[in-house]
Amino acid sequence: MPSKERASSRSRPEPGRGRALLKGLAFASPFLIGFAIFFAYPIAASGFYSFTDFSLFQPPKFVGLSNYARMINDAKFWKSLYNTLFLTVTGVPISLILALAGAHILNFNVKGQPLYRALVYLPTIIPVVAGGFLWRWLLNGQYGFVNEILRWLHIPQPNWLQEPAWGSMAVLIVSLWTVGGTMIIYLAALKDVPSDLYEAAQLDGAGPWRRFRDITWPMISPVTLFQVVVLIIAYLQIFTQPFVLAKDPAVGTSQAAGPGDSMLTYSVYLFQNAFVFLKMGYASAMAWLLLVITLVVTLLILWSSKKWVHYGSR
Amino acid sequence: MMGTARSRAAGAVVATALGVLMGFGATLSAYAQEKTEITFSYLWGGAEAKALEEIIAEFNASQDKIVVKGVSSPDTTKQLASMSSSNGAFDVSDHFGSAVGSWASKGILAPLDDLGLDTADFVPAALSQVSYDGKLYSLPIAVHDYQLLYNKKLLADAGVEPPKTMDELAAAIKALTKVDGDGNITQLGLGSAYMPTTMVVLGYAFGGEWNGGGKPTPADPNNIKGINYYVDNVVKPYGASAVNKFIAGFGPYMSPQDPFVQGKMAMVIDGEWRSASLGAAEGFEWGAVQIPAATPELADTTLVEVSTLFIPTNSKHKAEAGEFLKYMGSPAVMAKFTRALGNLPARTSLLGDKVYADLPNYDAWLNALKSPNAKSFSSAPYSAEYSADLGSAFEAIAQGSQTAEDAMKGVADRSGSYAQ
Repeated sequence: MPSKERASSRSRPEPGRGRALLKGLAFASPFLIGFAIFFAYPIAASGFYSFTDFSLFQPPKFVGLSNYARMINDAKFWKSLYNTLFLTVTGVPISLILALAGAHILNFNVKGQPLYRALVYLPTIIPVVAGGFLWRWLLNGQYGFVNEILRWLHIPQPNWLQEPAWGSMAVLIVSLWTVGGTMIIYLAALKDVPSDLYEAAQLDGAGPWRRFRDITWPMISPVTLFQVVVLIIAYLQIFTQPFVLAKDPAVGTSQAAGPGDSMLTYSVYLFQNAFVFLKMGYASAMAWLLLVITLVVTLLILWSSKKWVHYGSR
Repeated sequence: MMGTARSRAAGAVVATALGVLMGFGATLSAYAQEKTEITFSYLWGGAEAKALEEIIAEFNASQDKIVVKGVSSPDTTKQLASMSSSNGAFDVSDHFGSAVGSWASKGILAPLDDLGLDTADFVPAALSQVSYDGKLYSLPIAVHDYQLLYNKKLLADAGVEPPKTMDELAAAIKALTKVDGDGNITQLGLGSAYMPTTMVVLGYAFGGEWNGGGKPTPADPNNIKGINYYVDNVVKPYGASAVNKFIAGFGPYMSPQDPFVQGKMAMVIDGEWRSASLGAAEGFEWGAVQIPAATPELADTTLVEVSTLFIPTNSKHKAEAGEFLKYMGSPAVMAKFTRALGNLPARTSLLGDKVYADLPNYDAWLNALKSPNAKSFSSAPYSAEYSADLGSAFEAIAQGSQTAEDAMKGVADRSGSYAQ
């Protein structure tokens, strides 16, 4: 009998449960409606448009997989993908190393530390476009402050914004300028590592490197996982920095892709296709491919995280 | 008693204020009923925008049915995005003739045939560029072409005469390019106001075609000759790295730090609008001559472009916008506008008008417009993509990272996918 009662109670809806669900949905509706209008619909629509020839101004024409097939023979597509992967492969590890090293320095118990932390974080709150314009002058090959320092140090001064070999490096530098955000997150993680672990290790004779390798690194590995995923997504979508750096009327040419297309990132090329060449179908296909690439890379990192991320507290 | 008096006084104040507001509202309403407001979003800025605003104010004062609100918005992407919505953000805007084919083919532009413009008076090349599929889609407001500008003092100091042939130009570039002891360039013989334009003009000057038979023909052997002429005379002798380093220090175009005005470039290929801007540069002595051509048959070769006004399909006030376009295209207004900007008028009846007489060296561009070798890019649906690809290719050539042959072949290969 008791089991029968349980079975019947399972099949009967609890009184007021539907109402509670409705109430819950009503409270969540601002988000749900916003998500449906501003995210779900555009995502679904772009999926549909990726199979069409669509110019924004005329009804889309179904073309099957031809937008995806076109990418194979599109040299600029491959160039943009290469530039983006180069920035990701170099930018993510450099960001992590700089952020982790900086976080350690910001963790020292020295006078004025709050001010140093604020200064390191400052570039993060400066709008990317404003920062980009500032860096255009700092990286100016003839009068730039960066080359002035290099000249003073007797180091060759590259023509950052004019030579294909240095275009990507310029984008990388401008991207790394905002590494303070990553640094502050690492600082919070470092502060969460129990100090008694270090004391015990020190008593056992562990040096600084050993303490970092066996205590700090495993303890902050969940934060590192978060940083890696967020940075990879950010670098794969990088747009504003190359877009602003490439648009420089003062240098006589106004290429939106930098010298030798060295600043033509995936998102910049996607933007050009969508809003300059009016190939919204092709741009949508590119967007979906980027989503797939991002998803695969993220899943691979999450899968690998089982081997290097430690969630145990002590 | 005091309280009642205060209440009455307060009531009177409120009633008066309401009365004034209602009256004001009624006046506004009547004004709105009488006049239709249209928005003219234009890409011009600075002194050019100021000249345009004066003309808009004159139009508003000239009649009592339409009010034009001018908005300077020099962002072509925003312009395009605004035209994709069902409700237009503006009723009139401007662009170049080379975009007409692309935009008209996609239904972005409203046809203007019903406006009843006296098209017979317009420069034929300008009119053909703003027509698509037999219909007129934009009003040509100004025409542009290119000449070789030179700094009189720098040429005189070097004992160089303005060049007439390609050999003379090459010799002048060599004589006028200066390099210091460290190998740094301190003066360029021939600079670029805008690299793609310089390359395209040189291609034409060697007898090339960029749109042969209505299709992109970037790899035309004569185009490659023109590009290589630039590479062999401007880039190679000094090295791409040195040239680019020098160019990196240039100030903004048409500003007081403009490299031509500053004497950093002795010669430059540029358009007729410089007659107004350089004319205003105090104490600056400059001249303009025909762009040298490879053969006598190609003499007075130039690239012709057209500035246009158009009505987007999503405009809610097409009739009123049409009235404003007719006003802008009328001979007197076009003359005033193009004189202020130093442009060539799009009406043949205005070519040579005395209103332009005080613009220095203006005749050089005016005469070139009548040349049989004045050529223009076709306004095909693929123009935007073709221009972007040419820009990237020219950049790669000037950087020395690609040969002219390879870069142009790359553009030709890509042009196969433009038709989408």
